[in-house]
Amino acid sequence: MQFNHFAVPDGIAFSSFEERIIEDHGATLSLRSPCLSSEDIVQLMQTIRENRQKIKDYRTDQLIQIIDAAIQKWLDPNYPLRQFAEKWVPIITGYDKNMVRLELKQFLRLFRKKELLRFIQQEFPSISVLDEFYPQSNGGWSRAYGPEFIFHIFSGNVPGLPIWSLVMGILLKSANFGKTPTGEPLMAILFAQSLREVNVDVANTLAILPWKGGNQELEAPLYQGSDTVIAYGSNETVEQIRKQIPSSTRFLHYGYKISFAMVGREALRQDLYRDTLRRLRDDMTIYDQQACLSPHLVFIEAGGNVSPRMLAQQLSSELQQYALIRTRAKLSPEESQAIRSLRNEYEFKAMTNPNVAVYQSEIGTEWTVIYHKDLSFQPSPLNRTIHVVQCEHLEESIPAILPFREYLQTVGIATHPTRLMHLSGILGEQGVTRICAIGSMNRSVPGWHHDGRFNLIDLVRWVDLEGSAEALAEQYDLDVE
Amino acid sequence: MLKGKVVLVTGASRGIGAEIAKQLGKQGAIVIVNYLQNQCAANEVVKDIEQNGGTAVAIQADVIDSDQVEQMVHMIVDNFMGIDVVVNNALPHYTFNPRTRKPAWEIKWQDYQTQIQGNLGGAYNVTHAVLPYMTQQQEGRIINIVTNLIDFPIVPYHDYTTAKSALLGFSRNMAAELGAFGIKVNCVAPGLTAHTDSSQDTPENVRESIIGLTPLKRLTHPQDIAGAVLFLASSWSSFITGQCIYVDGGLTMK
Repeated sequence: MQFNHFAVPDGIAFSSFEERIIEDHGATLSLRSPCLSSEDIVQLMQTIRENRQKIKDYRTDQLIQIIDAAIQKWLDPNYPLRQFAEKWVPIITGYDKNMVRLELKQFLRLFRKKELLRFIQQEFPSISVLDEFYPQSNGGWSRAYGPEFIFHIFSGNVPGLPIWSLVMGILLKSANFGKTPTGEPLMAILFAQSLREVNVDVANTLAILPWKGGNQELEAPLYQGSDTVIAYGSNETVEQIRKQIPSSTRFLHYGYKISFAMVGREALRQDLYRDTLRRLRDDMTIYDQQACLSPHLVFIEAGGNVSPRMLAQQLSSELQQYALIRTRAKLSPEESQAIRSLRNEYEFKAMTNPNVAVYQSEIGTEWTVIYHKDLSFQPSPLNRTIHVVQCEHLEESIPAILPFREYLQTVGIATHPTRLMHLSGILGEQGVTRICAIGSMNRSVPGWHHDGRFNLIDLVRWVDLEGSAEALAEQYDLDVE
Repeated sequence: MLKGKVVLVTGASRGIGAEIAKQLGKQGAIVIVNYLQNQCAANEVVKDIEQNGGTAVAIQADVIDSDQVEQMVHMIVDNFMGIDVVVNNALPHYTFNPRTRKPAWEIKWQDYQTQIQGNLGGAYNVTHAVLPYMTQQQEGRIINIVTNLIDFPIVPYHDYTTAKSALLGFSRNMAAELGAFGIKVNCVAPGLTAHTDSSQDTPENVRESIIGLTPLKRLTHPQDIAGAVLFLASSWSSFITGQCIYVDGGLTMK
């Protein structure tokens, strides 16, 4: 089966192609993508920039309708593109088939009309501020203009994530150029195809293609010609990109983040601890912790009905059973090695230190739980590997997280209401940007402040039409007395 | 399947326990033959296992004494680096004689207490002693020997069968909670077992009537029970917990 692994506007043709062959149990998928030159890039940039003129006059609620219509297609289990994604995304990413099916379904629901309205409402006084001047309470008018041209550099760790970025660009009436990752190359292009089925004008403002990152010839025109660049990826990737972008270009980046969980003794009550365990397991198994929202570590408070050590043991057992239901993705040799080194390090420590214990899958690196009785904080190599750290009081764990301040993102938390507020205050002060229930760490809500920032507001340019101009204009109306 | 597994069988110097120990030894397990008094018999079992190429060691401990049990388990873990399977087979002395048994109007509360302490108390002590090791290993099998009389009290041995019923309830509750640590707790419920000291006083006519009701037309033999224990100790039964296997030729059907 051949799949045109690119989404480009009408009227663009390529002369030569290359193929990436993916095979699985006798089924073959050929991802066909154009051999690109800088001229191709420039031509594509020019075309989508011109095509943008057409959607500039679309009202935002029309764009929401279009996105919603494309998403509605995906909510039908028989939609051919969904079936295609459900078959091939797991094969390409290695993620469990059922996990991909369930998570994609849940994720795409974030872009239905009602969620998009809430998303915009979170940041703007009115949806119409993106379409026309909107009256300000202090007199005068304001209007928000989106970027003319956004270059998105997607990452492949979480299937479908590029859609988030594309949707923002479409809502802001920008021309969107996307570079797909090799890790998960399909979803951005499939979504563009769905948009094309709904509205050609919008589809013609998108160009999404794959190439190997770091290709100066192809990327230079994009860095130079975009007024906004959004990049997802490792810190190194982000730094590489930053060097090449003119200082006047707006650069949004989503790099390496560390998330963790905190479990108070009140969540370790006899009648609740099983639920607590299941939630922790979910947080660390969805996409094998590849999202920046997933926990590297969990602090467990001592003094509950179940000790932190026993919780670590039971979490191990949960992971063992879960590994049979949802297989973990195959790892690269480097990823496996990272887990094995961590295991070796702590197995060695555990030989002389009873305050450390290592629980692990018997054969491969499917899952690993490292129990620490002494307070510490360190990132995990992920892929179902977690540190379980005992503490007497959750509050006392705070000093341990300080060295990681600049990387902190989500904290999944299970504690009493009064402690929740108190702890959230402290965590916020230390750099954490999102606090949620354990079990929900991987599911951010529409309108959340990604890495503590606005989503759309950070991309728009405001234009103020001040009251003085309005008042003066009145004078020029001959009919005014 | 059981090669290198460290298995403790309580009350293993004689009867059903001895047979279980021998069969485990044949399968390559490292067998700890626990006994109360009969050191000679326990050594015989060890010798038998060793002659068949297996590894075994006899350790004396009274299962109703928690200190002795702690000490025994500590010794096992110290020497063999862990404990994988426990077969709680030990029981206080009991004679299965329908003619001399105490009827409902004569049995004393003390009789019940003796049986409960021996059967349930012993299993409790051993289970608690091995728990820290099994939770740490994330794996473990606990097999408790009960009786088919729980479901079919063909002869009402009140004290004995009540204590075994308690052991079945104990096992199911343990299974419910310890499953989360990868520990499986199951029971084996034999019927009247031929060729054991406890059953030698059961008269012939009772034996015959039991055989008459049994689809497989004979009494239970120790090897039959060992077979079920081997299954529950092995990874053939890795997704089975909280169950009771009746080894009585079909006399009891559940």
